[in-house]
Amino acid sequence: MVKSIIKAVILFALIAATAYIAFNYAPIEKSMGVIQKIFYIHIACAFSAFVAFGTCFYANVRYVFTRQAKADWLGVAAAEVGLMFILVVLITGPIWAHPVWGIWWTWDARLTLTFVLGLLYVSYLLLRSMIEEPDKRALFSALFGIFAFLDVPLVYFSIRWWRTQHPQPVILGGAGSGLEPRMRVAYLLMWGALTGLLILLMNARYKLEALRASVEELRREAEVQ
Amino acid sequence: MGLLSNTAVLLGKELRTEFRSRELLTTTVVFILVVVVLFSFTFDPTSSESRRFGPGLLWLSFLFAASLMLQPCFLREQNNDTLSALRLSVSDPFAIFLAKLVANTVFLLLTEVLMLPIFAVLYNVHILPVLAQLVLVFLLGSLGVAIPGTAFSAISAQARMRELMLPLLLLPLLTPVLIASTESTAGLLDANPELRWAWLGFLAGFDVVFLTALWLFGEYLLEE
Amino acid sequence: MKNLDSVLAAYLAGWAIFFLYYVSVARRMSNLRDEVERLKGLLSKRK
Repeated sequence: MVKSIIKAVILFALIAATAYIAFNYAPIEKSMGVIQKIFYIHIACAFSAFVAFGTCFYANVRYVFTRQAKADWLGVAAAEVGLMFILVVLITGPIWAHPVWGIWWTWDARLTLTFVLGLLYVSYLLLRSMIEEPDKRALFSALFGIFAFLDVPLVYFSIRWWRTQHPQPVILGGAGSGLEPRMRVAYLLMWGALTGLLILLMNARYKLEALRASVEELRREAEVQ
Repeated sequence: MGLLSNTAVLLGKELRTEFRSRELLTTTVVFILVVVVLFSFTFDPTSSESRRFGPGLLWLSFLFAASLMLQPCFLREQNNDTLSALRLSVSDPFAIFLAKLVANTVFLLLTEVLMLPIFAVLYNVHILPVLAQLVLVFLLGSLGVAIPGTAFSAISAQARMRELMLPLLLLPLLTPVLIASTESTAGLLDANPELRWAWLGFLAGFDVVFLTALWLFGEYLLEE
Repeated sequence: MKNLDSVLAAYLAGWAIFFLYYVSVARRMSNLRDEVERLKGLLSKRK
């Protein structure tokens, strides 16, 4: 327990330090000004969310073919943590957009995609809460997770094509636009810290799910006797 | 018995069951009608406005109707305990899904085509010159709805609150179908009608992806 | 610098979300550990 607290404190301090460095080390962007610095956490979180959902897909496929409970635990951990990262993307986007465009939300292609992705994984987690039996819950949520993941590139392309036909203000410009070397360093630092955070959070959630499984087993034992 | 003959037999059963009572078809058509009428109160249905909003609301109402219409698909089997019998009757479990999704596509297509003239009259759009192309768009779109819809009907049958779970699972996933179908329909209802092949190709691709996924994972969806 | 508060708000919001999530997981973890102790005690008493 103490070890995990120490790890968490170190990691969170690291993230705060990284943000501070990103803040001061990277130069202020010419056209946008200081507000551009939201870019680092916004994009890094989006990337980490995709890593999390890729992990969820891997876990889902593993479960369907091996039926190992560990795969199920990894799946739910990855989905929940990924959803947290999506939440941060969806909050930092509008915080950036409002001072720059004067509006909180535009149906910008990337943000819309992120929203739909979030909805898919909310559905995944909701489905899990609606199936009581552990084996069924694991199997059917895994199958839904697989379909959901296959949908992601299709959602991405359809939204992008649709947006090129009905253009709107784009949040945060292209990913690589104006990436000066010092900005690149700041971005990499941020991404490194967030990947560490991703691993820490998934690990914690995984252990929680494993513990929950053993509690369920103990409960069943207690009922039988 | 091969996959196709198994499918044909099961498909016959699905179609016969529905056409005996026709309750699914009639309630779905009425539902779409209600939604279309309600939508008309949200904007002024002049010709140009209808062309802007019409395709979207048409497909939105199809999607809502489908997420209700697909509920009984596997629920009926569960309630009557016929799923294990069904699985024993075929050599390839994919036949069960193939039969159900073809039946669902047929039902959806029928309700959509029935709605088309009513929509045209209520919203002042010209559908006759592009009727065949519209049916093509409806076919590809309905497949796009029915394929994951049939799969998720099997999934939601295992969950509590299944009436709400099916739309919740299905609708976010169908975003690409909604976009592609709306764009294709809008192109055909435009002042200068055109068939947007890129979007149709995309719809076909969507159908292929999920049909393949259903083929690969279908047998696991039938586990009890 | 204008918009500095927006930048700070964004980073703070992100940080807070992750921190609160971690705390909620840790709390659920300790609740479950207590439950494990309780159940183990129950089972050993019966034996």
